[in-house]
Amino acid sequence: MNLLKIVMKNMRQRALATWLTGASVALGVALAVAILLVKQGVQQRFEQGTLGYEMVVGAKGSPLQLVLNTVYNLDISPGNISWKLFEQLRNDKRVKLAVPFSVGDNYHGFRIVGTTDAFFKDFEFEPGRKPELASGRIFNFNEATLRSAFQEAEQRARDREAKERGEEVKPAAELPTEHKERPFEAVIGSIVAQDTGLQIGQTFIAAHGVQPSAEAKEHTENPWTVVGILAPTHTAVDRAIYINLDSFYQIEGHEIRNPNDRKKEEKPAPAEEKDNDPDLGQVSSVVLKLRSPILAFSLYRELNDREDAMAAFPAAEIRKLFDIVGNIDSLLLAQAILIMVVAGVAIAVSIYNSMSERRREIAILRALGARRTTIFSVVLLEAMTICLVGAAVGLVGGHLVVAAANGFLYKASGFVIPAFHVQPLEWYVLVVAVILGAVSGLGPALGAYRTDVAKNLAPSS
Amino acid sequence: MNEVLSLRNLRKSYREADGNLLEVIRLREYTLGANEQAVLVGHSGSGKSTLLNLIAGILLPDEGEILVNGTDPTKLSEAARDRFRAANIGYVFQSFNLLQGFTALENVLLGQMFGGGTGGADRAIQLLKSVGLEHRLHHKPRALSVGEQQRVAIARALVNAPPLVLADEPTGSLDAKNGAAVLELLRRICADGKNSLLLVTHDPDVMKSFEKVVQLEDLR
Repeated sequence: MNLLKIVMKNMRQRALATWLTGASVALGVALAVAILLVKQGVQQRFEQGTLGYEMVVGAKGSPLQLVLNTVYNLDISPGNISWKLFEQLRNDKRVKLAVPFSVGDNYHGFRIVGTTDAFFKDFEFEPGRKPELASGRIFNFNEATLRSAFQEAEQRARDREAKERGEEVKPAAELPTEHKERPFEAVIGSIVAQDTGLQIGQTFIAAHGVQPSAEAKEHTENPWTVVGILAPTHTAVDRAIYINLDSFYQIEGHEIRNPNDRKKEEKPAPAEEKDNDPDLGQVSSVVLKLRSPILAFSLYRELNDREDAMAAFPAAEIRKLFDIVGNIDSLLLAQAILIMVVAGVAIAVSIYNSMSERRREIAILRALGARRTTIFSVVLLEAMTICLVGAAVGLVGGHLVVAAANGFLYKASGFVIPAFHVQPLEWYVLVVAVILGAVSGLGPALGAYRTDVAKNLAPSS
Repeated sequence: MNEVLSLRNLRKSYREADGNLLEVIRLREYTLGANEQAVLVGHSGSGKSTLLNLIAGILLPDEGEILVNGTDPTKLSEAARDRFRAANIGYVFQSFNLLQGFTALENVLLGQMFGGGTGGADRAIQLLKSVGLEHRLHHKPRALSVGEQQRVAIARALVNAPPLVLADEPTGSLDAKNGAAVLELLRRICADGKNSLLLVTHDPDVMKSFEKVVQLEDLR
């Protein structure tokens, strides 16, 4: 027989109150742990997600929107920039690698991203990590084919505008043979493969728009064939379908014209100023890898001085985002702490409520020779044990909740949170729980300490 | 004969709600020898339980001297008095005062824990066997009859082999047959263990079986 056994007996004797108060502590702790884990995990994954994306260039608008759209396949594209700008960036001496992205379609909610083979061959989404194929091959890409796709798209746009004006539209000139049969090939992310069941050789039909919609037009005339499936990267890459950029521009509705071109046509420039290299194609964004970080700021300033484009540093934008989200996290954390405090009060109330029946037991223990301090310790230990056990259950519960949510999170975002990574802060949660128990039990323990033995030895009538 | 208990000029009063002092105990002298068994008789409200609580050190007298096995517990600090009580005084109550959440064996072990008694669980089991409860060791008080509960209380009072056993109306909650059996057991087990027994009662049947019977009023 020892003090802890007496404490356990007391807790078992009032099992319902013990379970309820312990559960409320566990709930508070689980909530706090889950919030901490999700906050740190999401922030870490988001920050890690930006590692391969040194700079993103896109249309003027919200830099955060541009980053979310390009890096995480979230939100909508703020607009387009010209292919000519992409070429300028690719040829810029400060730029080591430029990869274009075009978005506009989805398949079952998974974003379809038009890009070049550089995405697979040269792009590292994290330092030292390129998208690797789990099976199949990457799509065929030919820049000459892309240029002719741009020309066709441009022609389709002109024809459409002419039709709208009521003019007669002449049939388009025949394309060279090598450009006529463009492969509509796709490489899909691991989650896409898992979720849709698409396999190598199977075809799918894309729907217009980056979000699924019942009214969205389906591109039934151009099914894509899956030629490759990527290995899991635990990034947004897993949730995307990559197609060759030339096939993207082959699709009806993707012939978005550069407003500058239209203006030029309406008000033709003098012959000596005419551009021999017309600005035809457009892309949603361009991801840049720079030769040196020192050169980043000059390029950043130059791009942001332009009227038709802007540059954003993904890492900086994500930090800004988490500075804002951090306040919401603090509120949630405060709520979790409040639940724990309420649980502490519940423990105090529960022990207080049981004091009338406990007084006789205390008097008996005192008559048997238990000291006041022993009785004080028993009551205090009981409150601390409830809090400690509740907190321990809550810690495990918090991790299990995050682990259970990871499946959903992976499908929704492409990344998982390390659910069983114990953070040093969690040990403090246990310490805080014990202190909370001590504070909750202090009042009842003092009441027990002061119990009048002689008065309480006889059974109360 | 060595004295196990000696009381001299003992007084204890309580202040009533109207502010007046109510004298509950006024006792000139009383002694109890080693291995002696005696009864103090008093009517209801005569201060019998208060006297036992004074001897046990649960209450402190307003004045007077109490010696238990040569030690005046009133001169000790409260913590020392608690330790002294646990080791030197066994207490049997009218209402058994067993802890409901603990089994018969655990109730006896509790007494041993606070009294620093030796022998561990073996001693507790042996005592429970000696009171005829070897088959009820792991039963909680609710599962025991009132007679069995009082036998557990007797085993608990004797687990630390105290020189003095106090019994406050030990048969008060029992029927005549059970009461007689419990009383016989208590007396036998105290005699076997060489424990002095001071029993307070107002039950004439209990008094009859004792040689030393003192009216509390006669000690004033």
